[in-house]
Amino acid sequence: MAQVAYAGASRVYPGTNSVRAVDGLDLCVGDGEFLVLVGPSGSGKSTALRMAAGLEDVDEGSISIGDRDVTHLPPKDRDIAMVFQSYALYPHMSVRENMAFSLKLRGMPKSEIGSKVEEAASLLDLTQYLDRKPKALSGGQRQRVAMGRAIVREPSVFLMDEPLSNLDAKLRVETRANIAALQRRLATTTIYVTHDQVEAMTMGDRVAVLRDGVLQQCASPRELYDTPRNVFVAGFIGSPAMNLLTLPVDGGAVKLGELEVRLPVPAGSGEVTIGVRPESLSLVGVGEDGFDLQVELVEELGADAYVHGTLAGHDDKLVVRADGRTPPRLGEAVRVALRDTGEVHVFDPESGLRIDED
Amino acid sequence: MTARTNRLGGSALTVLTWIVALLFVFPVIWMVVTSFKHEVDAATDPPTFAFTPTLEQFTAILDRGFLPYLANSAFVTVLSTLLVLLLGVPAAYALSLAPVKQTSNALGFFLSTKMLPIVAAIIPLYVISQNLGMLDNVWALIVLYAGMNLPLAVWMMRSFFLEVPTEMIEAARVDGAKLPTVLYRVILPVVAPGIAATALICVIFSWTEFFYAVNLTAAQAGTVPVFLVGFITSEGLFWAQLSAAALLASLPVMIVGWIAQNHLVRGLSMGAVK
Amino acid sequence: MTAVVEAPPSPEPPSTRTRAQQRSAAWKRRAPLLPALLFTIAVTQVPFLVTVFYSFQSWNMVRPGSRHFVGFDNYVDVFTDSVFLSALGNTVTITVVCVLVAMLLGLGLALLLDRQFLGRGIVRTLLITPFLILPAAGALLWKTTMFDPTYGLLNWAFGIEVEWLSDYPLAAVMTQIVWQWTPFMMLLILAGLQAQSREVLEAAQVDGAGRWRTFVSITLPQLSRYLQLAVLLGAIYIVNSFDAIFLMTQGGPGTASTNLPYYIYQRAFEGFDVGQSSAMGVVVVAMTLIVATFALRLMFRAFDVSRGVK
Repeated sequence: MAQVAYAGASRVYPGTNSVRAVDGLDLCVGDGEFLVLVGPSGSGKSTALRMAAGLEDVDEGSISIGDRDVTHLPPKDRDIAMVFQSYALYPHMSVRENMAFSLKLRGMPKSEIGSKVEEAASLLDLTQYLDRKPKALSGGQRQRVAMGRAIVREPSVFLMDEPLSNLDAKLRVETRANIAALQRRLATTTIYVTHDQVEAMTMGDRVAVLRDGVLQQCASPRELYDTPRNVFVAGFIGSPAMNLLTLPVDGGAVKLGELEVRLPVPAGSGEVTIGVRPESLSLVGVGEDGFDLQVELVEELGADAYVHGTLAGHDDKLVVRADGRTPPRLGEAVRVALRDTGEVHVFDPESGLRIDED
Repeated sequence: MTARTNRLGGSALTVLTWIVALLFVFPVIWMVVTSFKHEVDAATDPPTFAFTPTLEQFTAILDRGFLPYLANSAFVTVLSTLLVLLLGVPAAYALSLAPVKQTSNALGFFLSTKMLPIVAAIIPLYVISQNLGMLDNVWALIVLYAGMNLPLAVWMMRSFFLEVPTEMIEAARVDGAKLPTVLYRVILPVVAPGIAATALICVIFSWTEFFYAVNLTAAQAGTVPVFLVGFITSEGLFWAQLSAAALLASLPVMIVGWIAQNHLVRGLSMGAVK
Repeated sequence: MTAVVEAPPSPEPPSTRTRAQQRSAAWKRRAPLLPALLFTIAVTQVPFLVTVFYSFQSWNMVRPGSRHFVGFDNYVDVFTDSVFLSALGNTVTITVVCVLVAMLLGLGLALLLDRQFLGRGIVRTLLITPFLILPAAGALLWKTTMFDPTYGLLNWAFGIEVEWLSDYPLAAVMTQIVWQWTPFMMLLILAGLQAQSREVLEAAQVDGAGRWRTFVSITLPQLSRYLQLAVLLGAIYIVNSFDAIFLMTQGGPGTASTNLPYYIYQRAFEGFDVGQSSAMGVVVVAMTLIVATFALRLMFRAFDVSRGVK
């Protein structure tokens, strides 16, 4: 068991326009922690993971696992196991051989390998498939073999690169829970890369959001959701996304249609970006405190409905969560109220950083 | 079109396909038929279709000393193919999975040597072989056939190597494998069918090669095509024997090719087909 | 659980490898390539350079001591040699006609095979057989059992009396070559046909394209790289055709079916004229290179060589 620490770690792809795929990453993953790296494609999350695996060079800074500096060590000396997006199973080996491969390379005695593989297989419900080739397995089974290959080694760190992205939606939800439970049981430090923010929120002890190779915020899912550090995190975490509007400030308040919202902004600010989650807004009766919204689209999800519309008199679009049983109709004008001023996030429109009431 | 006319059109097409195929291989079928004839039935006008089959042509071929030629062909084909694999597999690896900077130059060079007409080199090869005492020597053929097949083999194997998923190689590295282990335990088993396909094509081209064999070998190191040249003057009289010789000379490659048809397709299309 | 470490200055300067290390790494990567490269150079390039060297000499092997340097004389002779020029013409004819005809026949056969029917496997096996027959055997069989004026099957089948090999020597030779290479073309094109995406074909049908339209607008474009490969590989081998001419017509009658490989062979191994035949070899290589540069570019485009070059 070990912690993983990135210290100013960068990966720079050389070239005329050298690309900083990961730029000065400072991140420490605690012993036994489940850390999720999340970000849009091209954000450097996979590169960061591969740097820890030793599959990408570390051009600046360093990475350590436990007490050891592993910056320039080859993957085999890092005591890590990795689960790949494509699973990368060896097609010519049976499930048993796939799982035993790394143990065999370490020169572990045969009987011990056998029992370890059996143990991992029963943990993952793979016992009856041990003698099959990967070709003869379903997608979910292959995914479990990839997991099994990682856990038999009892490494100090698991690295997982979008391991669920090749599964269908239902299986993904199931496997998501299984992986999280397995990790808790084994208590092995895990770094997990995904572009799916639902996975990130449900699985991670902490979630690190990356964008263009730069770490935006690393915090618990709750904290990310409640106090995003900047506009990017605010917009990326949460589905549907947070409503973000840039509005002029007038006397310490902005106007959402007719609704005046008092904000903890420093005096003299010209404009601010405010963020309001769809669930912080609600539909109310005519005449109540709020603003008018012209309904353009209603997404009915059963329990809830999301109402997309335009703020009356503006071009700004907003999404409001409404009760699924009585959604408004298209083209209707509805009255929208803000649940609590405290649920409004305020950001500097220039830097995108969060402005907090202190 | 209704389903019915469609099916009719389909079976008409099937009949047509069969007729075309049979016409196309007719020279081969006729060769097989003729090889079982007595010489008197072999060259007749009109051709003889009903005859008493005999194996006398095959024994005659063996009496004319066919076996040493067959042995030479087998030896040259196997060893030159092994040599191609020995040199070609690492090269294909270097040009695909661990690409060097000048990859496309090297590939271009390999292919361009394939475009050099072999006649352009035959004279010095003859003179050099003569000076080295390598005329009529199987080893000279082995080296030359390897040189002849290597460029194409590198191209084919490269495309098979490119199909190996990078993630799988990375998985092996993470699993603790060093480069030789990765190569031997992970990459080679995966590209093995591709290497087999390449080897098959090298075997066919080595077995059937004529130009070097005729110019550089004679009685000692002659391969089966050289044996056939012996019929060039007397073929008018010995059609049945010629057919038997042609059949025997082609049979090994024919059988291998039939069995490994799918490999052949994969090899020829340079791994472009899964 | 540890929190985000607040940006400590990175302890190490950017890791830069020394130049020597980089160079040794580069050589390590090149090492697996070198044996093949050196071998190919030794077996193909060195003899060619020697050919160039010979081509500037007057050297007849049957007259020992006659060997001396003559500059470009051999080349002058080559270009004024009418047989050389007609052999060049024949080579071009054989290559172009055989490649095109074999490809068209191969395309036709591949289309016939690209569907489910009774005995498909057997038909395919039959059709590839000519490619697996020894070319020397094929040439001799065609010369005797097919083309023979008295006993040949062709004359019997059509009820005619034609001296195929003396009246139409080039056509006879080309027939044999086409027969030999059609299966090769067919296999390649069949591979291409079967690699087509079913969905794209279905999309074309849904879009209202008929069979012919689908073939022209969807199948042919998808086949193009297979067709290019077929043309390139076919041409490489057919340009060097020697067996068929050597065994069927010996270049004759006269020089009517002499192609360059056969003519150079004659000058070298029957005329023993090393100098002149070397000069011809060099001229052939020069011409091939011009065509090859073009063909290589085609090949590189078709096979996307940059793939795998990281």
